[in-house]
Amino acid sequence: MPVREVLRPGSVAEALEALALHPDALPIAGGTDLMVQLRNGRKNATTLVDLDRLGLAGLQESDEGITIGAGTRMDAIAADPRIRRLYPALAEAAAQIGAWPIQCRATLGGNLANASPAADTAPALIVEGARLVVASTAGTRQVPVEEFFLAPGRSALTPGELIISVRLPSPELGPGLRAVERFVKVGPRREQIISIVSLAGRALVGTDGTLFEFRLALGSVAPTPVRARRTEHLLTGRRPDAELRREAVRVLQDEIAPIDDVRAPAGYRRIACAVLLDRFLEEAARG
Amino acid sequence: MAERVTVSLTLNGERRTFEVPPGRRLLDLLRDDAGLIGTKEGCGAGECGACTVLLDGSPVTSCLVLAASADGHDVVTVEGLASAGRLHPFQEALVTRGGVQCGFCTPGIAVTGVAILAHREADPSEQARLLSGNLCRCTGYTKVIEALQTVTGMENE
Repeated sequence: MPVREVLRPGSVAEALEALALHPDALPIAGGTDLMVQLRNGRKNATTLVDLDRLGLAGLQESDEGITIGAGTRMDAIAADPRIRRLYPALAEAAAQIGAWPIQCRATLGGNLANASPAADTAPALIVEGARLVVASTAGTRQVPVEEFFLAPGRSALTPGELIISVRLPSPELGPGLRAVERFVKVGPRREQIISIVSLAGRALVGTDGTLFEFRLALGSVAPTPVRARRTEHLLTGRRPDAELRREAVRVLQDEIAPIDDVRAPAGYRRIACAVLLDRFLEEAARG
Repeated sequence: MAERVTVSLTLNGERRTFEVPPGRRLLDLLRDDAGLIGTKEGCGAGECGACTVLLDGSPVTSCLVLAASADGHDVVTVEGLASAGRLHPFQEALVTRGGVQCGFCTPGIAVTGVAILAHREADPSEQARLLSGNLCRCTGYTKVIEALQTVTGMENE
C-alpha cells in the first residue's frame, strides 16, 4: 500500500489535530525504523504525519531532572555532557544504536514508539525511572517507560497519541554512596547491530560494596524490554560476592523469556545476559 | 497517482524545488529527480552506508530519509564535496592513498569522511568508529583511514 499523502504540521497542536483526523496515519520522525518497515510491508500507511517541523528536539533542565524532547537525535543524546554525567546508561545506549549516520537521524521518541523488544534506549530509561509525556487532542498524560511496552511493536500509545518528551528524574545519591550505571549490548560486531541481548543496570553502592539500591532492565530477552524485579529484589541491600552473583544469574535466567530467532538462539541469550549481569555486579562491587 | 508533495531544499548549495510522490525516499529524489547518481543504493535498509549524504551537515543514510522530511533543509551529496573544480582534500587522499577499489561504497565513504574531518576528529580509532556505518568489502579500511590521517596531518601542519 503506497503512501499517498504526507502531512507536515508546523506545531504539536497541528500534529495532534492531524493524527485525530487521520486515525490510520503514522507519525514519522527520523524514519530509520519506519522507512524500512514501510518498504518491507511490516507497516502500512497511506498517510504519514511528518514530525520534522514540531520543534521537539532539545533538552530542558529543572530541579526535578532533565526533560528530553522526543525529536532529539541519538548523536545529540550521546554527546550531551549532562546526560553523560547524570544518565550514562542512556548516553551509552544512544552511542550504540546503529552507526553514526543512523544516530544522526534516529530520534529518542522514535526508538520508543517503534516498541521493539530490542530498543536500546528502553532498558536505560527503565533503570533511570524515566516517564514519557504523551499527548493527543484529548490532553496530556505521563506513562512510565517501564509500563509503555505491551508486545513486540505495540505500546501504550492509543490512536492519535504522540510522544512529546521523556522526563528523567534527578538521580538520588545518599551520603557515602556512589552511583554505578551502565548500558551494554551483545551482537556480532560493535556497531550497526540489533542487540542480541542488552542490559542496563543502575546501583547505589556503599563503601563496603553493598547495593543499597539496584535496578536492572534488559532488551531482546522477552516480548518487550523488561525490568528484572526478582533479580533486583535478591540483590538489593546485599553485597554481591561470587556466590550471590551466581544465585543472581540463576534468578535472572529464570525470570526472562528469550526466544530463538535469526539473531541468536534462546540459550545463547541466557548465557549472554548472565555474563553481562555478572560483569556489571563485579564492576559495581569493585568501586 | 496524482498525489505529489513539494520538496524545496538546498542541494549542493543551490535552492531546488521538486514535486515528488509522497512516499519518495531522499535517495530516489537525488538519483531520479535531481539526476545526481553519485549517491549509490546498496542495501536500502540503512545497513551499508552507500547512500550516505550530509543533511544539515550530519551524515545520514538517504535511503531512510523521507524526501518530504528534507523540505527546508540543506543536503550535500558526493557531487557537492568538490569546490571550484577541485576535489575535497579527503577525496584527493582517497585517490593518492589507494582508498578506492571497486568504488561502490566510495561516495558514502567520501561523505562520511568529510563529516569526520568537519568534526575535527583526528584520532584514527575514533575515525574508524565514526566510519563503521559505511561498509567496504574491498579495501579493508586501512587505506581509507590512512587517507583520513593524511588530511588530518595536513591540517595540523
